[in-house]
Amino acid sequence: MRNGRLPKGAHLRSSWSTRRQKKAERIAAARNFADGQILAQETIVQALETLVLPGDRVAIEGNNQKQADFLSRALAQADSQKLHDLHLLISSVSRPEHLDLFEHGIARKIDFAYAGPQSLRMAQLLEDRRLEIGAIHTYVELYARMFIDLIPNVALVCAAQGDRQGNLFTGPNTEDTPTIVEAAGFSSGIVIAQVNEIVDELPRVDIPGSWVDYVVKADRPFAIEPLFTRDPRHIHEVNILMAMMVIRGIYERHGVLSLNHGVGFDTAAIELLLPTYAGSLGLKGKICRHWALNPHPTLIPAIETGWVESVHCFGSELGMEEYLAARSDLFFTGRDGSLRSNRVLAQLAGQYGIDLFIGSTLQMDGDANSSTVTLGRLAGFGGAPNMGHDPHGRRHASPAWLSLIKGNSDVARGKKLVVQMLETYQKGGVPAFVESLDAVKVGRDAGMPIAPIMIYGDDVTHVVTEEGVAYLYKAIDLGERRSALAAIAGVTPVGLRHDPKRTEKLRRDGLVAFPEDLGIHPVEAKRSLLAAKSIEDLVAWSGGLYKPPARFRSW
Amino acid sequence: MMTPANRLDPKQLLTRKSFIELSARERAKALLDEGTYRELLGPFERLESPWLPMQGVVPQSDDGLIVARGTLSGKDAAILAIEGRFQGGSTGEVSGAKIAAALELAQHDAENGWPVQVLLLLETGGVRLQEANLGLEAIAEINSSMVALREHVPVVGVISGMVGCFGGMAITAALCSYLIMTRQGRLGLNGPEVIEEQSGIEEFDSSDRQLIWAVNGGEQRYAAGFVDDLVEDDVKLIRERVIEAFGRGVPCRHRSEQVEDYLERLATIDVTHQLEIRHFGRLWSKRVLS
Repeated sequence: MRNGRLPKGAHLRSSWSTRRQKKAERIAAARNFADGQILAQETIVQALETLVLPGDRVAIEGNNQKQADFLSRALAQADSQKLHDLHLLISSVSRPEHLDLFEHGIARKIDFAYAGPQSLRMAQLLEDRRLEIGAIHTYVELYARMFIDLIPNVALVCAAQGDRQGNLFTGPNTEDTPTIVEAAGFSSGIVIAQVNEIVDELPRVDIPGSWVDYVVKADRPFAIEPLFTRDPRHIHEVNILMAMMVIRGIYERHGVLSLNHGVGFDTAAIELLLPTYAGSLGLKGKICRHWALNPHPTLIPAIETGWVESVHCFGSELGMEEYLAARSDLFFTGRDGSLRSNRVLAQLAGQYGIDLFIGSTLQMDGDANSSTVTLGRLAGFGGAPNMGHDPHGRRHASPAWLSLIKGNSDVARGKKLVVQMLETYQKGGVPAFVESLDAVKVGRDAGMPIAPIMIYGDDVTHVVTEEGVAYLYKAIDLGERRSALAAIAGVTPVGLRHDPKRTEKLRRDGLVAFPEDLGIHPVEAKRSLLAAKSIEDLVAWSGGLYKPPARFRSW
Repeated sequence: MMTPANRLDPKQLLTRKSFIELSARERAKALLDEGTYRELLGPFERLESPWLPMQGVVPQSDDGLIVARGTLSGKDAAILAIEGRFQGGSTGEVSGAKIAAALELAQHDAENGWPVQVLLLLETGGVRLQEANLGLEAIAEINSSMVALREHVPVVGVISGMVGCFGGMAITAALCSYLIMTRQGRLGLNGPEVIEEQSGIEEFDSSDRQLIWAVNGGEQRYAAGFVDDLVEDDVKLIRERVIEAFGRGVPCRHRSEQVEDYLERLATIDVTHQLEIRHFGRLWSKRVLS
């Protein structure tokens, strides 16, 4: 600009802060609904009709656990003449009103990660062309995109308490709130938080007020589900047999120190066998010391017997609050004493920081691809794929990671253990090992660019069934991999392909282990091995600090 | 009263043995003196229900009822243990006849100067619907035998759960000289699902676990004086309490004989107001009755 002219090719832009200006306009338009940063509960629908504009990208806090349900219910009551073509970003589509928004013509498009309870209706709306799917993500991916090409115009979040300056206290269920607020709050988006109560002094500040535009007191406390509670009474002997094989054949063999457990009765059985079976093998201190895990009540006995050194949590779990506060050596807690969780950081930890991920699946094909997507349902994946893969960006070594090195190249690298558990037959006599996953058909029918696979076979290092363990990572080629899997797939279509002679060789070569190869007698897999056999037992283990929700109480 | 399990240390928690977890046969074995267990009319006698196969239900060769003999604390004992995992512990023609016959045998022995301690392990939804009238008849026989037997020896009942004790067998439970429950146990004439079906979900929501246990659960039944002892789910503790109950001998007046007292209490209740569960314990408490 030497001679006062713009360089050739440069454009004149009148303003570089249009987003900020537009935000100021919205806030000015909504002044009648607000007293400072406090929005009135009674006029929340009109306030949303003013603060949200047609075509906006709206992040609604619908987490795996807590839900900004007051705000989502209010948004669903908006006039679709005023508010339409919204693009929703919801990590977990759990509430009926999330989909009412599409039926009422308020929202048009959705990017999400998980739709468990609403998966059936979601598939229906898609078929009726009332809903467009941007993509099905994993949690981390969806949040990543909120900072790249899916930056929200508005974020509707929830917290336990707020003050008049907009500071928020989330309590133990911090979960996704800081991330969503950051994405909107630092890109001139509007951040509205529903709180259970407005107070003068917060126990601690989880989200600073300067990130938040409005606080509104909800008509009732935010909805939350105890998703990670499994009643030990429903753990059966097959779960226990598989858990014993995991402990002996994987945790002990590879020296797994840090890990994540998916939720389910298989992994609950492992947690409850640590103080008993694993203890009798002398493994205390040698395995399972550091966890990225929601506070599973079934982990209590292992904690109380000194197995666990640290747990970082994605969220909290209903009923566990007092127990967690009383075990602050292990859990991340704030100055107020209560848990601080963080889904994105826990997902990151579960991706890069741990030796092993283990989870259950519903279906697996002959190449060990697996999915929980079944016909007629669009459930998504949540966070399992983040943890259920080998992150190629990992550079730190651990004994377990190194133990998966094959060959002796100068630049060999280790591998994270990705373990899938499944019984060869599901309830109702349906084989779990199939020629082609339902997910393939679902993906095709829904016009998805790729089939909704939860864990890809090439990421899976071990598969455990009631028949045995397949050490897939040891296979030298695809043929050997398939044979190892077939050897433990029972009498399913995949299992019937196995060749007994080849299986014997695979056992000798250590690619397949049956229970007897691991020194386990199936008759020893008894419920008496469980450190807790009921929710009552878990309460007793916690010294009465665990307060299970009513639906889990049998007393 | 109960030992609070919340105060046990990890070692105690790992070594204690759940009674609820056990099958009927294992329960009987666990309670009798070691090595004294023997079974009468066991599975090899193949006394099966003839009615179940006709209705497409696979029968069991002991019809879900274990008659065990042995000694308890050195004294002769007979245990009638219902297997809750077979047809919900329901009483059919065969299982009912096994109970009635065992009670009669014990009565005969007692009358001949050979007292046998009789223990019922109740885990039952009541009459087996597939055997309707025959099951009902069996319960009538059982109950008349109970009344005759308990004049001679105490009859003790244990309701540990998780099925609970409902229907006609709840009457049998009420006829026991002494009744012992866990807090997981439930005792009631009509099961929650039956009440809901008959009177609607507004009257009784059978999916509301807290409500169910507040009405039928062991703690409530103990507070209301319908059972004599509330015990933790622990084989050792339950065994101790059973022995203790037998040690008390035949009560001078059985609970089911206190008809006048109960009627009197019923008469004092103000039925113009909806009764609250939390007041129930006070209205019916054992202390008021005795």
